[in-house]
Amino acid sequence: MSRNGPLALAFHTLFVTFILAPILVVCVVAFTPEGYLSVPTDRVSLRWFRAIADYPEFIDAFWNSVWLAAASSAIAVGFSVPAALAIARYDFTGREALTALFLSPLMVPHVVLGIAFLRFFTQIGLGGTFVGLVLSHIVIVFPFALRLVLSSAVGMDRAIEHAAISLGASDFAVFRRVTLPLILPGLASGWALAFIQSFDEVTMTVFIAAPGTVTLPVRMFLYIQDNIDPLVTSVSACVIAITVVFLVVLDRIYGLERLLVGRGSGDGA
Amino acid sequence: MSFLVLEGLTKRFGDQAAVDSLDLVVEQGEFVSLLGPSGCGKTTTLQMIAGFVEPTSGSILLDGRDLLAIKPSQRGLGIVFQSYALFPHMTAAENVAFGLEMQGVPRAERSQRVSETLALVGLAALADRYPRRMSGGQQQRVALARALVIRPRILLLDEPLSNLDAKLREEMQIELRQIQRTVGTTTILVTHDQAEAMALSDRIVVMNKGRVEQIGRPHEAYEKPASAFVAGFLGKTNVLPAAVEQRNGAAVASIGDGSWPLPAEASGRVTVSVRPEKIAFIDQADCSLAGTVRTRIFQGNHWLYQIDTACGLVTVIRQNAGEMMPAEGAAVRLTWRPQDMTVSPAGQDGRI
Ligand SMILES: Nc1ncnc2c1ncn2[C@@H]1O[C@H](COP(=O)(O)OP(=O)(O)OP(=O)(O)O)[C@@H](O)[C@H]1O
Ligand SMILES: [Mg+2]
Repeated sequence: MSRNGPLALAFHTLFVTFILAPILVVCVVAFTPEGYLSVPTDRVSLRWFRAIADYPEFIDAFWNSVWLAAASSAIAVGFSVPAALAIARYDFTGREALTALFLSPLMVPHVVLGIAFLRFFTQIGLGGTFVGLVLSHIVIVFPFALRLVLSSAVGMDRAIEHAAISLGASDFAVFRRVTLPLILPGLASGWALAFIQSFDEVTMTVFIAAPGTVTLPVRMFLYIQDNIDPLVTSVSACVIAITVVFLVVLDRIYGLERLLVGRGSGDGA
Repeated sequence: MSFLVLEGLTKRFGDQAAVDSLDLVVEQGEFVSLLGPSGCGKTTTLQMIAGFVEPTSGSILLDGRDLLAIKPSQRGLGIVFQSYALFPHMTAAENVAFGLEMQGVPRAERSQRVSETLALVGLAALADRYPRRMSGGQQQRVALARALVIRPRILLLDEPLSNLDAKLREEMQIELRQIQRTVGTTTILVTHDQAEAMALSDRIVVMNKGRVEQIGRPHEAYEKPASAFVAGFLGKTNVLPAAVEQRNGAAVASIGDGSWPLPAEASGRVTVSVRPEKIAFIDQADCSLAGTVRTRIFQGNHWLYQIDTACGLVTVIRQNAGEMMPAEGAAVRLTWRPQDMTVSPAGQDGRI
């Protein structure tokens, strides 16, 4: 379909290799029989996968991360719907400023956010709680959710809503029957992106997580400070496997391209 | 009592008037077209009736009731948008059923009316298809069915055919008119296509820069345009400069080397517009203008001439009656009846 010159092809190959190589290496190293980080040469072993079972805190941390990411991105998407609709539709004073404010967490270094939240949560009695973690993650994933919801809200033809109104639909009926279904792809991709951002976050979380609320990346970060062994690679390999399975399932039931590119089911063929 | 009355309807965006004190009375069952060039305020007028644009001033009465006091969702109007604005996540049947659902029509009656209306627009076979898998013409029909099924008090159509190719557009014009006759719904059509307006409407409202230039039956507006603008917009016309003087108590217009008695009141410098098909070739006469044939094009049932005259290039259309016609380069004299002239103040050349 696409005609790439040999140069472009080489570039793309290099680029993809560069991105995929670390992931591949991690997965390979996870099968090492040795007690140190090495690429298995003569034989492979599941030793380090079995070792995960001896460290239940990794499993707990995994579930912490999943719930945290799911909750914070769901709430962020929930907030971004009215925000995106307002920004997309109305030309009010302070619209630019509001958009900038909503996107500003992208600009603040996570270290700074981490220290600020640590101080703030301790002050209001949320220090080390799961609620505190969720709140802080909402702040950092909100820009991602908003961006994607906004792009689907901006792309929507106002006349479609006008059509619904002219047919007698109340404001609520218009939203539920027309607006929401039309921006749903944006919501879904916004949620997925926010989920990944939250799941991945370590710089800020390391400041605010308490022993009971440690997330997976933070747990791994803490672990490798004391031990250099292939356990982190087998944990990573598991996360990668889960992600791949998740994406395949999502692709089967929804169509991955549609999700990531954010094209509505309603777009003209 | 009149059905729909627009009175002094005005909409300003900033200090620019998109629609300027528009007065219009529409009778029940009538098909009225708003016709005018791009940006003349047609859509704005329609949107004010629909309730999506709030008028700066003026009033709209429907059946004697103040329409502006009613919410857009309660006005009971059927609208077909230029982009069709179908619900992309619903099938054709679901699209059409939406309005009935909102009205709380019971399920059995709903599906009955949906299939009736889909059959009316010739789409019975495509009820379960999604809009993205339909052609432009089919989507257009779904939009029409969706607007008609709620038995609207008025049907508002905003350039519904402009996205279709020429052949399909002609078919849909005929169909639209038939459907409107069958259902009898009062209809207001917005279009910039003069042929479409003339073919479909009982009356045409010709608009220019937010103002009404003329309201009249298609034939009347074509034959007796109220201004050079209308003459130029409805069909082709020749615009000629003329000087009016009084001779023996009657107004006479001098055009080039000819002079015509004027049917209307006028004085000084004016412009006169004459339709190409009203101009004939003649050997010698008082009311005639000298020229030479620059080009002659044969178009089957008629000849299309461009004639060089003292007043500039004049277009002439003559029926092909099988006679000999002047050849290119021939010297000719052009004539037309005084009543075929539309006179307007100088400077207002109906060109757009
Ligand atoms: N929301 C708006 N804000 C400012 N000006 C507007 C707005 N909507 C319309 N206008 C102006 O009002 C005038 C009339 O617009 P309108 O859409 O009614 O034209 P139209 O006759 O429908 O033209 P077209 O044939 O191109 O659709 C235009 O000059 C347009 O620029
Ligand atoms: Mg318009």
